[in-house]
Amino acid sequence: MLKIENLHASIDDKEILRGINLEVKPGEVHAIMGPNGSGKSTLSSVIAGNEDFEVTDGKISFLEEDIAELAPEERAHKGIFLSFQYPVEIPGVSVTNFMKTAINESRRAQGLEDMPANEMLKKIREKSELLEIDRKFLSRSLNQGFSGGEKKRNEIFQMAMLEPKLAILDETDSGLDIDALRIVSDGVNRLKSKDNAVVVITHYQRLLEYIVPDYVHVLLNGRIVKSGGKELALELEEKGYDWIKQEVAV
Amino acid sequence: MAFENRVDVEHPVHDIRTEAIKFFEEKGFPTKKDEAWKYTSLKTLLKNDYSVFPKEESALEFKDVKKYFIHDIDSYKIVFIDGIYSSHLSQTSHEGLDVCLMSSALSKPKYQLIIENYFNKIAKTDDSLTSLNTAFSREGAFINIPKGKVVDKPIQIIHLATGKESSIMLQPRSLVVVGENAHVQIIERHQSLTDNPVLTNAVTEIFTHKRGIVDYYKIQNDNPNASLIDNTYISQQQNSHASVHTFSFGGKITRNNLQFVHKGEHINSTLKGITITEDKQHVDHSTLVHHATPNCESHQDYKGIYSDSSTGVFNGRIIVEKEAQKTNGFQQSNNILIDDKATINAKPQLEIFADDVKCSHGCTIGQLDEEALFYLQSRGIPKKEARALLMYAFANNVLESVKIPEVKTRINKLIAMKLGVKVGFDL
Amino acid sequence: MAYTEEELKKELETKEYEYGFYTDIESDTLPVGLNEDIVRAISLKKNEPAWMTEWRLEAYRAWTQMEEPAWANVTYEKPDFQAISYYSAPMKKPKYESLDEVDPELLDTFKKLGISVDEQKKLAGVAVDIVMDSVSVATTFKKTLAEKGIIFCSISEAIQEHPELVKKYIGTVVPERDNFYAALNSAVFSDGSFCYIPKGVRCPMELSTYFRINQAGTGQFERTLVIADEGSYVSYLEGCTAPTRDENQLHAAVVELIALDDAEIKYSTVQNWYPGNKEGKGGVFNFVTKRGLCEKNAKISWTQVETGSAVTWKYPSCILKGDNSVGEFYSIAVTNNYQQADTGTKMIHLGKNTKSTIISKGISAGKSQNSYRGLVQVNSRADNARNFSQCDSLLMGNECGAHTFPYIETKNKTAQIEHEATTSKIGEDQIFYCNQRGIDTEKAIALIVNGFSKEVLNKLPMEFAVEAQKLLEISLEGSVG
Repeated sequence: MLKIENLHASIDDKEILRGINLEVKPGEVHAIMGPNGSGKSTLSSVIAGNEDFEVTDGKISFLEEDIAELAPEERAHKGIFLSFQYPVEIPGVSVTNFMKTAINESRRAQGLEDMPANEMLKKIREKSELLEIDRKFLSRSLNQGFSGGEKKRNEIFQMAMLEPKLAILDETDSGLDIDALRIVSDGVNRLKSKDNAVVVITHYQRLLEYIVPDYVHVLLNGRIVKSGGKELALELEEKGYDWIKQEVAV
Repeated sequence: MAFENRVDVEHPVHDIRTEAIKFFEEKGFPTKKDEAWKYTSLKTLLKNDYSVFPKEESALEFKDVKKYFIHDIDSYKIVFIDGIYSSHLSQTSHEGLDVCLMSSALSKPKYQLIIENYFNKIAKTDDSLTSLNTAFSREGAFINIPKGKVVDKPIQIIHLATGKESSIMLQPRSLVVVGENAHVQIIERHQSLTDNPVLTNAVTEIFTHKRGIVDYYKIQNDNPNASLIDNTYISQQQNSHASVHTFSFGGKITRNNLQFVHKGEHINSTLKGITITEDKQHVDHSTLVHHATPNCESHQDYKGIYSDSSTGVFNGRIIVEKEAQKTNGFQQSNNILIDDKATINAKPQLEIFADDVKCSHGCTIGQLDEEALFYLQSRGIPKKEARALLMYAFANNVLESVKIPEVKTRINKLIAMKLGVKVGFDL
Repeated sequence: MAYTEEELKKELETKEYEYGFYTDIESDTLPVGLNEDIVRAISLKKNEPAWMTEWRLEAYRAWTQMEEPAWANVTYEKPDFQAISYYSAPMKKPKYESLDEVDPELLDTFKKLGISVDEQKKLAGVAVDIVMDSVSVATTFKKTLAEKGIIFCSISEAIQEHPELVKKYIGTVVPERDNFYAALNSAVFSDGSFCYIPKGVRCPMELSTYFRINQAGTGQFERTLVIADEGSYVSYLEGCTAPTRDENQLHAAVVELIALDDAEIKYSTVQNWYPGNKEGKGGVFNFVTKRGLCEKNAKISWTQVETGSAVTWKYPSCILKGDNSVGEFYSIAVTNNYQQADTGTKMIHLGKNTKSTIISKGISAGKSQNSYRGLVQVNSRADNARNFSQCDSLLMGNECGAHTFPYIETKNKTAQIEHEATTSKIGEDQIFYCNQRGIDTEKAIALIVNGFSKEVLNKLPMEFAVEAQKLLEISLEGSVG
């Protein structure tokens, strides 16, 4: 589904990603872990097409198609979803209105009619229940005045609404208390199928207790230096990143 | 007005003065038709026949005027009596810095370069009152702080008017140059000693170089027949900090023109004021912060309490040029009207030409919180004191940034006096 | 949102000013220039009574003594008032009894304006008076209104049919010599709308006027007078368009609203005069005086969406004369390319317990300048006056300007006034966030701008809100690269 080969990317001439290789297949859950500044968030931004970063080398393909030249919204239309580490506030635009616009823009890109209002309402009701979101919340301005937990829950709600093929969850666990963490990961797990894939970017092992990965990759200085199964996450939790740094240095 | 014969034609700034005279003669005194003077009329002031130079020099004893000084701290002092320097009351210095007189800076060759570089360089040449000052002022303070010098004690500039003339017009002209990394604190006061009319038209130019810091405190608590037009111009280089606190309690008509110009990045400008007026007093704060460079900040915070038939004007302006991206410009003006005949006119303006900026202004006009008043009374505080306490609380945050404790204490006392209370707690 | 995305897409394709067509209709136009004879001629053509002619002449004489105001934050080449024709009427006269009699070409014009008259009749139940080149050509729905005693007609007709009402109220809120443009309008106005709602009547439908400048070299000077008698209510809509022309066209209207005791007037405007082209050539000079008077317990609410005109100079105001009266001003002003807008309001608090609210949203793009100018005045007898003002500016790009000039004058200690202003921009992070959810940049900007303007859009009647949203998007097209 997603295939990244020798990806190099930089911001303001500073190289952050230095040759990433990663392949994600349908039905898989990958976790990308690494210390602060290792390039985790850059990787998710580059996959989503943030133009602040310049891809200097390598290839990203999604569903067998090179997406390097595609605009962020075109990638979204193809089914890439990024749950932001810091979701952005848009005053005056309600969650519902935003979702309606996003869904219909994607449908239009696929040559479909706008979603009929009743169908939209039904879907909103369904998905908000899934994430235990209050109806009142949906009429509030997008992310404005939301608590950290509300913002993250709203991201996963949007993911549920948009039903992406590939979901990248960038530090979705940060700012969540234990209840919210459970609701969010329940949501993600229920949305998981054999046809879609999830990439979880996280600092800690905690989230991976709820969303169990098939593969764990360790990102260090812009490279994936170690990959393994879910037990790698536990090992990292226990020993920290230093031993890997040493291993890499050797 | 025939005082040209009193002006030294050989003076190095003679050309500047000639230009200024010409401008003033063309333009005359501002009237309410000028947008900048829409809410302040000088008409009543201009009726008086002011003498421009005192006929005789006067001497005063320190003990008689001590109360106008912040006397409980050691400080440099530059004191003028009826516009003439009083060496007796002053304490100037040339040791590692210059705290002296404008007249000597203008006449001594060793200051010639400074005068050429700074004199009348930021004062507005198209402002008639500033031009009037440029044309005729003879004296004022000259402060030159060299690079890296942190001045050991505050500098007080005190202008006294004896009232020996039936009415007098004073035009002090000061220049403050703060070198790189230098730091200075200045306290300024205008004080007349009788009820004879005084009109002061002051101009101060302040230059702060890279990373320089200047804190300027203006204490305006003059007699009811003294009026002041204060024109202060501040030019800032990168990373410098300049703050001006203006405390307007006294005087008949007070107009503060305070203008900041930015000439580098990462500059910080602070403009704060407390105004408390009564009777027919009129206080006008006209501020301008001109953001011309990126990444600078300005903070304006003015509080006003107006009693009787007094009038307050707040005319605050922020201009952000196209180049001044990432500007943070804030302006706040909060006002309380105490009596039926009191008036407040506010015109807080933003003129923004850059898109990536954070600018805001807020202006409120209101009353004391009746509920809070009742709460205090129910705790046994008499109404008058309770009101004073609330007013003090209203104005208080402006005092938080005053860095000289003695100035803070003095202002607190003046506020208590002005509000007519003796409160049992330390205001 | 009631409009379909498909419609929106179509709108987005038409990059140029969409109302820029010219209707080829024979016109009866007076020679250019202005003097007492022209004023008399206008009055004569309209068969006006002597008092009206005299009133116009008085205004004209006052105007000759006045100077064009220069205090607004706009620069433009002053119009040559002697090079304008002050009267241009479609030839087909007199009045039409029903729409069937109206020149089909004219009807076609209305269709293009998107205000297909008969459709509106059916769907929205809006009564429309259409003023084209200053003459009112059709007032629909007259009969339905007449049953309630509501008078809704052109002002010329009102001068003939209801002279006592016109005489009593015209010039009482905006006097002949109020300002340069108002005086000019008073002297030469050729038509406009008149509306009277009798005591206690709640007008059952929105009343609407559509203004259009058609003929070249003409000025449009319409005059609107709305009187809401005691306890009545009316919601009034006003829309404006003009064809694309290279030269500047002058529009100097006067609107007077009178809300008697306990009455309420809601006046909404969507102003979309031709703004000039991308290089700033052409466009309408829109110098308008709008003012309303509130008697006891009355309420006047101005809502405006200003997207058009090369230069706008406009301050819909409320004189809160009666105790407990309420004034409101909700405004969105969008400027793009070389447009200049200096707009805002005046709230004059005279009565006790009067309240006013000002919400102004300015959006500047391109090389435009957008200024809010407002006055809140509390007079000494206006006890317990309340005002809340909020002025927000959104800048798009780095060549435009957003300015705020609020004047606050208070002479009463019981007044409570709050004024807030902010300036912001559309963040790149906001756009990326929308992009990531599949929304393209143009649409993202529209969404963010709509969000920014929401408080004002919400105040518009439904049909107008939809049109206004579309206008916002159209006027900001191409403003972000």
